[in-house]
Amino acid sequence: MLSGYWHFVPEALVVAGALAVLFGEFLPGRDKGAAYIAAALAGAAALLVAVGGTGGPMVFGQVEPDSVARFARTGVAGLTAVWALWVAGRGMSDERRRDAVALALFAAAGGMLLCMARDLIVMYIALELSTMPAYILMGYRRRDVSGLEGALKYFLLSMLTSIVMLYGLSFLYGISGSTAFAELSIEGAGVLGLVAVLLTLVGLLAKMSAAPFHYWAPDAYAGAAPASVAFVSTVPKIAGITVIARLLSAIAPDMPTLVTLVAVASVASMLLGNLAALPQSDLRRLMAYSGVAHTGYLLMALAPGTDTGYAAAVFYAVAYALPSMAVMLVAAEEGTEITDLAQLAARRPWLAWSVVIWLLSLIGIPPLAGFFGKLYLFGAAVDSSLWLLVVLGILTSVVSAGYYFRVVREMFFGEPVGVSGEGIASPAATVALVALVAGTVVIGLGASPLLRGLGALLG
Amino acid sequence: MLPLLTIIVFLPLVGAAVTALLPKERTDLPRLVALVVSLVDLALVLWLAARFDVAAGLQFIERARWIPEANIQYFLGVDGISLPLLFLSALLLPIAILASWKVTERPSFYFTMILLLAVGMNGVFVALDFVLFYVFWELVLVPMYFLIAVWGGPRREYAAIKFFLYTLFGSVFMLVGILALYLHPAGGTFDMTVLAASTGLPASFQWWVFAAFFLGFAVKVPVFPFHTWLPDAHVEAPTAGSVLLAGILLKMGTYGFVRVSLPMLPDAAESWAWFVALLGVISILYGAAVAFAQTDLKKLVAYSSVSHMGFVMLGIAAGTPEGLNGAVAIMFAHGVITGMLFLLVGMVYERTHTRTIADVSGLSKQAPVAAGMLAFASFASLGLPGLAGFVGEFLSLVGAWRSELVAPGFVVAAAIGVLLAAAYMLWMVQRTVLGTPSSAVEGITDLNRLEIGILVPLVVITVVMGVYWSSILRYVDPAVTALLATMGAV
Repeated sequence: MLSGYWHFVPEALVVAGALAVLFGEFLPGRDKGAAYIAAALAGAAALLVAVGGTGGPMVFGQVEPDSVARFARTGVAGLTAVWALWVAGRGMSDERRRDAVALALFAAAGGMLLCMARDLIVMYIALELSTMPAYILMGYRRRDVSGLEGALKYFLLSMLTSIVMLYGLSFLYGISGSTAFAELSIEGAGVLGLVAVLLTLVGLLAKMSAAPFHYWAPDAYAGAAPASVAFVSTVPKIAGITVIARLLSAIAPDMPTLVTLVAVASVASMLLGNLAALPQSDLRRLMAYSGVAHTGYLLMALAPGTDTGYAAAVFYAVAYALPSMAVMLVAAEEGTEITDLAQLAARRPWLAWSVVIWLLSLIGIPPLAGFFGKLYLFGAAVDSSLWLLVVLGILTSVVSAGYYFRVVREMFFGEPVGVSGEGIASPAATVALVALVAGTVVIGLGASPLLRGLGALLG
Repeated sequence: MLPLLTIIVFLPLVGAAVTALLPKERTDLPRLVALVVSLVDLALVLWLAARFDVAAGLQFIERARWIPEANIQYFLGVDGISLPLLFLSALLLPIAILASWKVTERPSFYFTMILLLAVGMNGVFVALDFVLFYVFWELVLVPMYFLIAVWGGPRREYAAIKFFLYTLFGSVFMLVGILALYLHPAGGTFDMTVLAASTGLPASFQWWVFAAFFLGFAVKVPVFPFHTWLPDAHVEAPTAGSVLLAGILLKMGTYGFVRVSLPMLPDAAESWAWFVALLGVISILYGAAVAFAQTDLKKLVAYSSVSHMGFVMLGIAAGTPEGLNGAVAIMFAHGVITGMLFLLVGMVYERTHTRTIADVSGLSKQAPVAAGMLAFASFASLGLPGLAGFVGEFLSLVGAWRSELVAPGFVVAAAIGVLLAAAYMLWMVQRTVLGTPSSAVEGITDLNRLEIGILVPLVVITVVMGVYWSSILRYVDPAVTALLATMGAV
């Protein structure tokens, strides 16, 4: 029962990194050096997960480091490392770097644990661990009133949804008499079962900013530092979708209406996210709504309630997180209004082309990561004959190309307004962005080994 | 063995990387690199064509595992239907590059986009795995978007995004069709050769999968009523962009019908045939009628494309040997002839700075070579016997007439389209070539040697194909026969 604890070494590395950075006032290189160390440790954790094996249920069945968890944990740790590297190089809105990095690492540890969770209690604690630091990150600019307002909104709504979810979890526990996923059963529980599942699902969907529980995201993001948004809007989603998939696969067989609920949330998210993103002029709001839309695509993969669907959702979560984080980091470098990117192609052509690659991936153009993600999730939906979802997914993908191309247009043909861009050369930040470009291309072209890690997809 | 097709497809990608990395000051280098790459590519295609065995079906096959977890392969090959199109793509590339010789605005960006476009164009015609096919299919969108949006006319940004969104809309439906075939028990693969050979897909399933593919292909062709992006894109695009758009990108759509819809969904192709023929005939008549009304030379050529592509659709709907031979023959001939027309319109525009037909008259007195070339290309376009345009249109009409799937009334209507084409083309020639030189034409120079050099190969091919039909049909016919055999109809 207690063997195989080496599976937790990556999490331990991440926590150690967070603590070291947090308390290590005298680490070499001070603030910047500490951030580099954190990035290195998170990177090592990602590598360790990726090359490490998988295992069966551990710690009395409360966690299971299986192949899906391995993929998701690699994504969480890897993206955290990239983000920390960028922050180390570029700085964090004139505040101290190392606290931000420490917070991100704590959140990552929670996220990684969440990917393995097989128990309601572990799930809840891991979820809170991964969101708590995010509240602070969102209000990281202490002197920025609108940022604090956004952070407060985020905090209050997130706590509210946490409590709603906890309420639902208590019912689930009451009905099944166990907190283990494997023993959850709502068969014969009637209305109570429905209420329990609804409350739990509402909490989880709100954390994923799925419509109709998305309303906090645009306001919270628009007030926050773009670098914070880059982390908060992407990495937790990977862990979140992984655990939702787990939970659904445990309780969905008992409850066919669940599938309908997820499908409704998917439709609402795809429509609302994509249509609301169209008129936005602030990149953070645009990406917030596009995040809602992509959550809709993720839910489309969950709606069939099949294993291939769950695997497709986890793959897509990573394929979404990579370019999305990258675009927000660019916003952090160049400015948050779309017009701030005007003539980026003339100023920084390599960066502009990288942004084009990320946006194309978000649209789902082959051979990039987003295309393969959409291939697998459309596949899951087609396989289960969810035609309404498929057609809506297609139409809204085209709509999304409309607003993503507004950004492209601005970069290549926009009229520059005033001075923008801080113009600080930072090799580390460049390395981070190059890693994100490489990831976006490689996950697509070299998807094979990744998919093997995910188990046979679309088999 | 040498992976010839891989080299042909990806050599332009190497060229694109080189032109992108060239130092910005060397503005004369990118076009040179692009030209060399495109000529080597053309030479390779010619070498491949010389070694092509017309009796052997699919050949030069390259197959490797790519993503075995999802049964996705790297799978290339050519047959008699794809070879002419691959040749067309390789032929028009150096011509488009030479036609862009004077591009001075961001030349390295420009030629990178042209070469990137070539990767997608070549790739689509040789890909035999559906995912790979889709990759190449979508690959052309981005470079064409930039070609129109950066080097286009006054409404370039609108035209570029319209092109992008329309074709994306169609192709995502195609993706669902691909997935549906893969996930169906009787399909179960992305291998296009296996899917083409397999039977046993239920007719009702075929029916809606055909509809999904139809959306993808019809937008690209484009068939009425999906054609509205085309005039905008053509009018705004730079000359080379128009040449490649009309010459190659439109053929991707009709090629899709021949390569995918017919062999893989034969039952649906039969039950949808009347609809495809109907839209084909509407495209023929509508394109011709609208071409009549155009005052802009480039728009006239663009709408004539809609009309000509209608003949391709008619031949495909017929599903007879003549019809399909005709369809492929028009695809090739239209690429060559419309390429010529767009080049000439561009050359005239460069000199007169107007494309309004009413402002251009008396070309023959001021620039006899340009006038002669324009008249020649127009004759070829209207389907004058003895020139390339006639071959396919004749065959596709005969094929449609002999087909049980196409009502005779459609064929009669399409034949009226031929008359209309003759009328609007001759009227255009009369107004621009004949008469006394207008103020815009007064004092212009005739075509220079480079421009003549660009046009001559196209003229030669037009004549050779028109006189000696089997120069192309000897490749196409065996492949068409094989295709019809897999469909269970001969």
